[in-house]
Amino acid sequence: MLKTFFYSFLIYWKGTDKLYDYIIIGAGVIGSNIARELCRYQTKVLVLDKENDVANVQSLANSAIVHSGHNPEPGSLKARLSVWGNLLYEQMEEELGIPLLKTGAYVVAHNHHEEQELDKLAELARINQVPEFSILNYEEALLDEPNLSKTVTKVLSLPTTKVTYPWEVAFAAMENAIKNGVEFRKNALVTKIRKVGNVFYVTVNNNQEYQSKYLINAAGVASDDIAGMIEKKVPYTIKGRKGEYFVLDKRVKGFVNHVLYPLPTELGKGVLITPQFHGEILLGPNSLEVKDKYHPTTSYEGLTYVKENAALLADNIPINQIIRSFAGIRSTSDYDDFYIKESLEVKGFYHLGGIDSPGLTACFAIAKYLVEEVMNVGEIYSIDPNFDPLRKKKVLFNRLSLTEKKDLLLKEPLYGNIICKCEKITEKEILDAMHGPLGSNTIKGIKKRTRAGAGLCQGGYCEEKIIKMIAKEFNISPLEIAYDKEETKLFVAETKVKP
Amino acid sequence: MIKEIVVIGGGASGLAAAIAAKKKNKDVLLIEREAELGGILNQCIHNGFGLEVFKEEYTGPEYAYKFIEEFNSLDIEYLLNATVIKLDKVDDIFIITLSSEKLGLSEIKAKAVVISSGCYERTRGQITMPGDRPRGVITAGSAQRYLNINGFLVGKKVFILGSGDIGLIMARRMHLEGAEVLGVAEIMPYSNGLNRNIVQCLNDFDIPLYLSHTVTNVESDEFKRLKAITIQEVDSRFNPIKGTEKHFSVDTLLLSIGLIPDITLLDDFDIDVDPKTKSAKINQAYETTVNGLFICGNSLQVHDLVDNVSKESSRAGTSAADYIDGLVTSRQKIKIIPKENILYVAPQYLDFGWSFKELIISFRSSKKLEKAAIKIYQGEKLVYQKRRTFIVPAEMEQVSFPYSELSKDEDLRVELEEL
Repeated sequence: MLKTFFYSFLIYWKGTDKLYDYIIIGAGVIGSNIARELCRYQTKVLVLDKENDVANVQSLANSAIVHSGHNPEPGSLKARLSVWGNLLYEQMEEELGIPLLKTGAYVVAHNHHEEQELDKLAELARINQVPEFSILNYEEALLDEPNLSKTVTKVLSLPTTKVTYPWEVAFAAMENAIKNGVEFRKNALVTKIRKVGNVFYVTVNNNQEYQSKYLINAAGVASDDIAGMIEKKVPYTIKGRKGEYFVLDKRVKGFVNHVLYPLPTELGKGVLITPQFHGEILLGPNSLEVKDKYHPTTSYEGLTYVKENAALLADNIPINQIIRSFAGIRSTSDYDDFYIKESLEVKGFYHLGGIDSPGLTACFAIAKYLVEEVMNVGEIYSIDPNFDPLRKKKVLFNRLSLTEKKDLLLKEPLYGNIICKCEKITEKEILDAMHGPLGSNTIKGIKKRTRAGAGLCQGGYCEEKIIKMIAKEFNISPLEIAYDKEETKLFVAETKVKP
Repeated sequence: MIKEIVVIGGGASGLAAAIAAKKKNKDVLLIEREAELGGILNQCIHNGFGLEVFKEEYTGPEYAYKFIEEFNSLDIEYLLNATVIKLDKVDDIFIITLSSEKLGLSEIKAKAVVISSGCYERTRGQITMPGDRPRGVITAGSAQRYLNINGFLVGKKVFILGSGDIGLIMARRMHLEGAEVLGVAEIMPYSNGLNRNIVQCLNDFDIPLYLSHTVTNVESDEFKRLKAITIQEVDSRFNPIKGTEKHFSVDTLLLSIGLIPDITLLDDFDIDVDPKTKSAKINQAYETTVNGLFICGNSLQVHDLVDNVSKESSRAGTSAADYIDGLVTSRQKIKIIPKENILYVAPQYLDFGWSFKELIISFRSSKKLEKAAIKIYQGEKLVYQKRRTFIVPAEMEQVSFPYSELSKDEDLRVELEEL
């Protein structure tokens, strides 16, 4: 008896003897893309994330903008990787089916002083080699942006600014990585790291250990804490700045067509108005340093600040169409730039520290930069001839033409059954989100994959239907279904009388 | 093939509209997106329905069943599990695009359309409620559906924001199901629910009602589950008053903070929308500013009694039949304008092309009035007045009077004079 117990404990503890080439901590847009870039070589890669899904912290809640690269300090990594990253989005739209809305952006000035600042910003854009930018006067800008605030005097037009759908960036990269052999483990909180000889031993949830030759810290907000597990002196500290936002329902589509920026300040790019890929519009973010970086919350003051500042960009914002507010966290560090380097203390340990804005913009470039220029993976591992960079674009049924819809319905009648009435998401799309290499059985996971529940009624109508679908597909009781983490069960009890 | 009348939605409203139109010998098709008729009534297992229509007290499903029985006896054509995803009008014909597993995408043509698509619940996102975004903040209607239809309880320590009827009903329901209901907060200085619900759902179970209070903070635990809320008293401008904070440890916050007519199907139409009802403006025939497009029930205005939904929708169904019969002549109309102490009126237009004898106006007051006179003016002329006692915003009022004597040139003004 005792022997059996000891034996099973041993197996439980030891986990796997497998030696990975790379372990990546963090499955946001950065970690997922690094995993995919490593697939170009004959490597064994494991990705660990403490959350129950990819893209669940910084990648979850942000402005979704692919910036042109106009404002980082020339010569910085941020400048180089954001301009490069912006270009890569066009390629990834093809390769990975990344959603892209080519909006362009206006940075606005309201008076003589701001116009001078705008000219300085245009000069930065020039040095950073931002393509196609120009200065427009108010009347010129108004032609494409009829609701532009009447207080605006001049704008810097940045046509290469785009909007993406951050969750899909992470899904696409991770799905493709998994297809190319990467292993992904969610709900894996790293609790201990040690290096013995040339091997990293990474303990997760205090009870399981993984081994690798190299260790990549893409843990975002937690990156300094992760580094602190193995470095005596971590070269940066994550301060954590929260950003609060409002979401306007997609019925306001067209209220603004460009991303509207105020002039940037030391705190960041300021409160923006951002049209989103699926038609809704974001107001925000503010930028406030928070005590608890794992715990960004919305506040009256913050949300009021967002409303007031958004009003400097456009007139008559339809705030009666607000359907949601949220707060996201930026992993801002005390280092001025992205910190993408090998550890000075521990060989083979790589930092991706302080990846705040423009991290989403730069994510594809960051992954390439790390793999090719920092880690020089090509010198260690040979190229994998079987690497397949392609991932099929997700079907967004409601966006198809009538003919396309009818064709698809002949093959798949379940595209006819609308589950989410606000966003018009069909049963087939939800089934697809449950299965596949990165399938999900949580309400939030399905919302992120399909947008079911992201619209006007915020899931009031479809959540019940999705619960039934999950119960059926995974053959579990609704009592076992969670919103996100395992602990966030939807129900506490079955009622006395069953219908 | 062109249908005469298509009714969109098969709840209390759609059933009554379809029955009324069919009784006028019209070719009617009703479209319902759920697997069964009855709409939200199916989850309202409490009693109190039918006192006005049937002079008897029924539960929601019983009330629905009475109508479904009549609907079936009239052999009215209907589709289930079919969602209307688009509504257009080309010349005088409506084109209804349907999506369903069975039929795929299909188009149905109709001469007239009745929208009876109900309403949806206001969510947390539509009000400013600062704090964390944990699991456990849920609309009262959703919790009701989970409990009464699916058989699952969403939480065991519950607070309720908003004193709308669903919130009150759910306070009692969750209490009876073994949950601890710690209180109900209402931002207004008066309840938004029917008085009988305050008495029967809160007072009878010693559940406290905090008037002029709202939730000002939401806290989650490490797993993003609701852990606690803070409520605060608000001043006359609804700003929280410092020092009035009360904390409650809860696992569930139910929201009963209002219902909004679901008129997303009208998005493609250039119709007049009333910012107060958040629905289409109508004339006395329940016709929107698009000829032949009718709207009724909770998709027109949120009702507190289903009996009124049925009566109203029955009239809308009859109007749609009259429209098909070509009984509408001129299109000369005047406005009906809410004034002193009136939150909104419906209809918002009086169209002299329709030959009804009586004008029925529904309205809600904008504040609580102990004694008041309802007065309707045309220019300087008082055309209707009636005294009422105890008028509250939570209860929809109705007046009706003949309008053949009215001038066709001057707008009507509806007032509530405090006595």
